[in-house]
Amino acid sequence: MKKEESKISKIKDRVAKLLEKDVSVFIAYERMPFELKDRLTIISSPKEVDKISVSPFMVGSPARMLLEIGGIDDGKIGIIARACDTRAIKQLIKEGKIKRERVYIMGITCGGMVNTRKLRSPRFENGRLYDHDREVHMKDVLYDTCSRCEDPLPVLYDEVFDVFDVFEGVSKADESTEEIEGDREKRWSYWMGEMEKCIRCYACRSACPMCYCTECLVDPINLAVSPFTSAEEKASYPRFLGKTISAEDNLFYHIIRVLHHAGRCADCGECERACPMDIPIRELERKMREVVRDVFGYDDDEIPFLAKLDMIPEGR
Amino acid sequence: MDFEPKILVFACNWCSYAGADLAGTSRLQYAPNVRIVRVMCSGMVNPALILHAFRMGFDGVVVAGCHPGDCHYNVGNYYAKKRIVLLRELLEFVGFESERLKLLWASASEGKKFAEEMNEFTEKIRELGPQEKFRRCQK
Repeated sequence: MKKEESKISKIKDRVAKLLEKDVSVFIAYERMPFELKDRLTIISSPKEVDKISVSPFMVGSPARMLLEIGGIDDGKIGIIARACDTRAIKQLIKEGKIKRERVYIMGITCGGMVNTRKLRSPRFENGRLYDHDREVHMKDVLYDTCSRCEDPLPVLYDEVFDVFDVFEGVSKADESTEEIEGDREKRWSYWMGEMEKCIRCYACRSACPMCYCTECLVDPINLAVSPFTSAEEKASYPRFLGKTISAEDNLFYHIIRVLHHAGRCADCGECERACPMDIPIRELERKMREVVRDVFGYDDDEIPFLAKLDMIPEGR
Repeated sequence: MDFEPKILVFACNWCSYAGADLAGTSRLQYAPNVRIVRVMCSGMVNPALILHAFRMGFDGVVVAGCHPGDCHYNVGNYYAKKRIVLLRELLEFVGFESERLKLLWASASEGKKFAEEMNEFTEKIRELGPQEKFRRCQK
């Protein structure tokens, strides 16, 4: 563990050095005071670098934060990014949302993130993870997304720091979508059961680095309301999805959300991490990914998938 | 009471709607279960519109557009194809009958083909039975 600490202090030194001249702000994680979680924070002076925490308990997508603060000032933005974050940043650059020269990407090797919900009372001491008094292997409590990660190494970076050993159990054979066993009725009742849990808090949408539409399908904001707008007019304003509670409508929302991510999803699993009801949204995203790859034969091209037109699958 | 399927067709203004019109003017009879909505291009049919139709109780939805390469707006039908293939795969994945959604290429001269396809699709939906999964009202 001493080794890891020295690696993290190396990162801190480097961040402090960069903040002195090249980079104006840095997006990093800091430990939350009473919880075993690292949350996103913005570091703007070299004095603050001691806050930085790099651990398997990081929550939130720095790519999303980069997207949100990207337009604020003209300086360069530094970012400490895991493999999935670099994938998201790469996609955002491809879509013209971020300029490559305005980001300084400090990649870190990643051994997967720990799902603390799998533990009752997690404790982290001297590099070991405990649940009550029992020691737990990190591998057993990783997020499903992480234990199935296809590529745990950053794809786009200015420099890479080797912090964690890349998770050994990562198997590329494991990446295919597991069809939920059984026929349609079984699958439908499985998904209805899952969607019944959805409270439509839209945390999945807020956490996702790819969900940046200014107006989402589910919240119509372009109705100009004046004092003369009647209640009836407001109530009957056409919208695809109102404030309903049925499982079918929740599925409607999730299907449309996933469709918008076709060929773009960075596979970071932030949606599942953000979900308070533990809905397996990633299953849908993974299915979409599989279709894009197997049916359309699209594989990480220069042109975004939805804009590429010369892919017409035959016989479908 | 016998089940009469309700089918919604999004027909593109330039090819399929003209094709449906030709079927009418050449007095070809086809299933009266079909309701046609004219859209400017099959590429404007948002997947949300299709799901909305299912939610409103339609038993089948057809998106009809120009043949590949013939689109009035050059590429609209390519977008439609991509969206509908993705949506069908997702619907199948969650256990919805993906046969209820169909993509049809019909040009302005294919009145006969349009009528035949509509009859065929109606029969298929009749066999599948009423669509109860997305329907909003009582089950």
